[in-house]
Parts: sequence; C-alpha cells; structure tokens
Amino acid sequence: MLIAREHPLFAAADTCSAVTEPRLDSETLTGDDPVVVAEGLRHSYDRRHFALDGVSFTVRRGEVFGLLGRNGAGKSTLIKAMTTLIRPTSGTLRVLGFDPARDGQKIRQRIGVVQQGESFDFTTVQRNLDVYGILWGVPRPEREQRRERLLAQYGLTEIRKRRAFDISGGQKRRVQVAREFMHDMEVLFLDEPTVGLDVIMRRTLLDTVREEVRRGLTVVFTTHNLEEADYLCDRAAVIDEGRILVLDSIANLKQLYGGKKTIDLTIGNGAPAQFFTTLAERLGPGADVTVHDHSAVILTDDPKVALSKIAELSQTRGVQLEWLNVRQNTLEDVFLHSVGHRGEGNHAGP
Amino acid sequence: MQAPNLLRLVYRNIVVNTDPGSLIILIGLPGMYLIFFGFGFQSLASAGGSGTAYLSYLTPGIMAFQVVMAGTVGGSMLWADRRWGMLSQLLMGPFTRLQYLLGIMLTSVLFGLGGAAVMLAVAYALLGSVPTNAVALAVIFGSITIGSVFFGALMLYISALVKSNTAYNSIQILLIFVVNFASTVFYPLSSGLPIALRALFEVNPLTYVADAVRGAYLGNLTPTDALQMLVLVAEMVVALILATRAYMRSDVSYE
Repeated sequence: MLIAREHPLFAAADTCSAVTEPRLDSETLTGDDPVVVAEGLRHSYDRRHFALDGVSFTVRRGEVFGLLGRNGAGKSTLIKAMTTLIRPTSGTLRVLGFDPARDGQKIRQRIGVVQQGESFDFTTVQRNLDVYGILWGVPRPEREQRRERLLAQYGLTEIRKRRAFDISGGQKRRVQVAREFMHDMEVLFLDEPTVGLDVIMRRTLLDTVREEVRRGLTVVFTTHNLEEADYLCDRAAVIDEGRILVLDSIANLKQLYGGKKTIDLTIGNGAPAQFFTTLAERLGPGADVTVHDHSAVILTDDPKVALSKIAELSQTRGVQLEWLNVRQNTLEDVFLHSVGHRGEGNHAGP
Repeated sequence: MQAPNLLRLVYRNIVVNTDPGSLIILIGLPGMYLIFFGFGFQSLASAGGSGTAYLSYLTPGIMAFQVVMAGTVGGSMLWADRRWGMLSQLLMGPFTRLQYLLGIMLTSVLFGLGGAAVMLAVAYALLGSVPTNAVALAVIFGSITIGSVFFGALMLYISALVKSNTAYNSIQILLIFVVNFASTVFYPLSSGLPIALRALFEVNPLTYVADAVRGAYLGNLTPTDALQMLVLVAEMVVALILATRAYMRSDVSYE
C-alpha cells in the first residue's frame, strides 16, 4: 500500500510497502522486474503548475494497473510520459527498462496505446485496421486474419466499408481499440478506452483485455469509472492534482477504511450549508464526512450512533432528510474520500 | 521481411491521400489549367516572342505547378494528422519524429513526380509529342523533385505554426494563388512588370522550377538554368531547416 505523505492516513500507514527498488538497466530486465518504474516524476506544461507533482509507482509485469482520477488529475499526462510523447520535467522514469528520453523508439516498438481522443486515418474502418497493421509491419496473411477477427469481435463487420469519420462515437471508440490489437505488444496503455461505449461493448472490451492479460500482456488503464477499475484492475492508484494519493490492490483499497461503513445522506435544497460541518463535529474523529453540494458520504465505525446523531441534528435544525442509506464500502468511496482529503472545501471534519 | 519504417509511413500517406476526391483536385486542377488556359489563350498569345505555341509554353509550366500541389499534400497531411489524432498515435508507435517528417517529404516528392508524369501524358495526348531524351527527363524530374521538397517543407512549416484550420486553409489558398501567378508558369517574366512584382517573380522558387522544366521540355536549356537550379537548391535547404525546426518544436500531444 502506498499512501501520499500528506494523506491523513499516512500516520497509520505502518503497513505500507515502499515502491519496489527499481532495476533500471534494460539489459538485465527479467520477467519479474517491473515494466514501469516512476520515481519522483514531475511535469509542468507552463513552468508554473505541475500536472505531475512527484509521482512514484511501479507497474508489474502481467498486471492491470489502474490510474483513477478526476478529469485533469494528471492521468493522461502520466500516460503521455510513459508512452514517450512528452518528456517529464524531472524525476526518473523507466519503461521496459528503458529511459523514454534516450530510448523512446525501443519502448514504442513494444507498447500499444489507445489514446483518449479520436485518432483515425481518413479512410474506411477496414482500411484503418489494415493500414495500422502495415505500419506495424504485420505480414499480410496475419494482418488479414487479425483484421477479420477484430472486426467480428468488436461488432464492426457491418460498418467495415464506412469511413471512420462517418460512424458514431461508440463505433469510433471500438475501431480505435480494435486497431490497437492489430499488432503484438508487451504493454498496453489504455487512456479512458470505454468512453462512449455501451454496456455490452464496454464489457466486451474489458473481457478482451482480461484475455490478453491472461496471455501475458501488461495493461496500464486510466479511468474515472470505478466499476471498470474494480472489474479489470489488479492494483490501482488514485491520482489527484498530479499526485498519487493511494496505491494498492483493489481488494486492499476497499479495505482501506477497515470495518467502516458508508452512509449516503442528502438534505433538502433549502437546508443551511453548515449542517454538514456541525454534523462532522458531532460525529467526531471516528467518522469521515465528504460533502458534495447537498449530499454527503460519511464513513463511520459505528453507523448506529451516526444515524442517531443525524436524526437528532436534523430534528433540532429542522432540516429535511431526502435520502439516507447505509451500505458497505465500494471503490468509489475510497476514491471520493482520497480525493476529498485533498481539500477544496469538500471535506467537512472536526 | 518488414519494409523499413520510412517506406511504411510513405505507403500509409499515399493510401490515405488517394481517395477519388483528393486525386481529382491534385491532378484534375492542373490538368484543367492546361486545357482551359492552353486552348483559351492559344489564339491570343505567342509566348516569349519566340514563336512557341502557347500550349507548348504552358505545358511545362503546368508540370512545374505540380510541385505546389505536392507541397499542399505534405502540409495538409501534417495538419490532418494533428487534427485527427494520428500524429500523436504514430509518434507513440514505432516511428521517430524524423521518420514521420521524412515520410511526408518523400510522399510530397512522389505526388509531385506522379503529377508531372500525368501531365506529360496529357501533353502527349494534346500535342502528340513529349521529350524522350534522358537529359531532358532528368532535368524535368530532378527539378520537380527539388521543387516538391521546397514546397512540401514550406507547407509543413506553415502547418506546424498555424493553430486554426481556417487560417491554414486561407494561407494555403493565398499561397497557391500568389506563387502560381507570380511565376513563369503561365507567362514569361516581362521587363514591363512593376519592380516589386518582378522581384517576387525572381525569388519565387516556382519560377526556377518552371524555367528548368520548360528549358528541358522545349530543348533550350541555358547556363542560366543551371544557376537557377543552384538557387532553388539553396532555397530548398533553407525551407527544410525552417520546417524541421518548427515541426520538431511543435506540440504533438493529444488532448
């Protein structure tokens, strides 16, 4: 478990394991060595603000590593650095044992990338796949075989003759993902690949990735869909404002708040804003309150006591409770509480 | 056996640029100039005072004009790749930035040479004869190559600097117009031209390409043509340096 130093749980993080000491030499890289090692990575686009601000992590061979975060958290910048598109301002980065600044091409020959935005050639769906295979030097028989398999797998056979720019957003996304499997790779970087996909296609994509991982592929996957991360990832890092807040296996992340339970609470629109601040004070340090407008997510050791205090406070203040629910923790709670601790006035606490 | 990266990029550039619409514009437009202007002005002009029929005068000019069209292919390719996310996709693939740049330049040259060859065929159909001797063909295709690299680099430079699609298209249209008509493609450099316009003719690389192609085509190459080729090569080198610097510094990252 890796927790950022400023995180409130840092003091209790005596079970944390530090980032594995990296082996940085590509010549001695073995199957057990991490495929990505980042240490103190910083990047600024304007020399004033840091899109990455001291990021350290490792990605192990054969795992699906998730990067979870809000829009603008730094996920895509991190992907761009790992795929050699940008050069980090400072810090150490090794991908497959190589330094992206010096041996970018050696890295790029062994990775695949599905970028967040659209990327197409101005031609048909089928030809987009074909040309991509040619660009990667895939021999013709294999190329045709892969193309046909991928067109069928991603439900693109019907639209194979249509121009990639004339198809729907979801179809475009499928073409982009399918195209990347036209070539072999050791590491696949997926930058929010499921945006715009319907439920079935989303699941198809995630299952396809899982299948490839079973065959030895390593995947770095960015998303803000936590269900996807839960479904696909072995480990995940929550990133915000360019920093990794928590990093651990999905199972451990869910256990991050121990035996605590989550209370979802929504109050009426007319209720005073101080309600949650007062509630947090009354609940004390055993509870953790994250506020979003008129809703709050409360993590607590003792939901019974918390519920009685909520009822008492709402009665004395005349605040109407519109929604109240007690449930087990999800990955989303981990995410909300991790990001909530970063300030911006979202975290109401004593 | 795998083809080298550069050839794979060139193949891709050609494939994605050879849809019927693009081909009609690339080859059809110069062809239309040749037919409409050639026949339209034939009765009015005996160009250069040399007694050359205007169609014979215009044909090598239109062949030279292909270098401008080839240049627009190069610039538009970079623009489109950046606009549609393929530049970042390719640069996260097995290619270097330099290979991508060379791929575009080589594609421009191939389009220039292909266009000139098509114009030769059109000229043969219209005039019944074209030069067949090796020196003439070497000069024609050599100058077309250098001109294509120059205009490819120029358009690439503009493409790397300009941020908006509208601005890029406007600049491209303006450039094609000015470069085309301030050259010896359609008419000879006359002493009666205003000094400023004359100067524009003389620094315009298309003038040098047109003169060289015309000299070879009509069989009247002079030592001045050799000097002009040297100037053209120098202009090409400068354009290449500027384009490479601008492109290498440009933002390739996706949104």
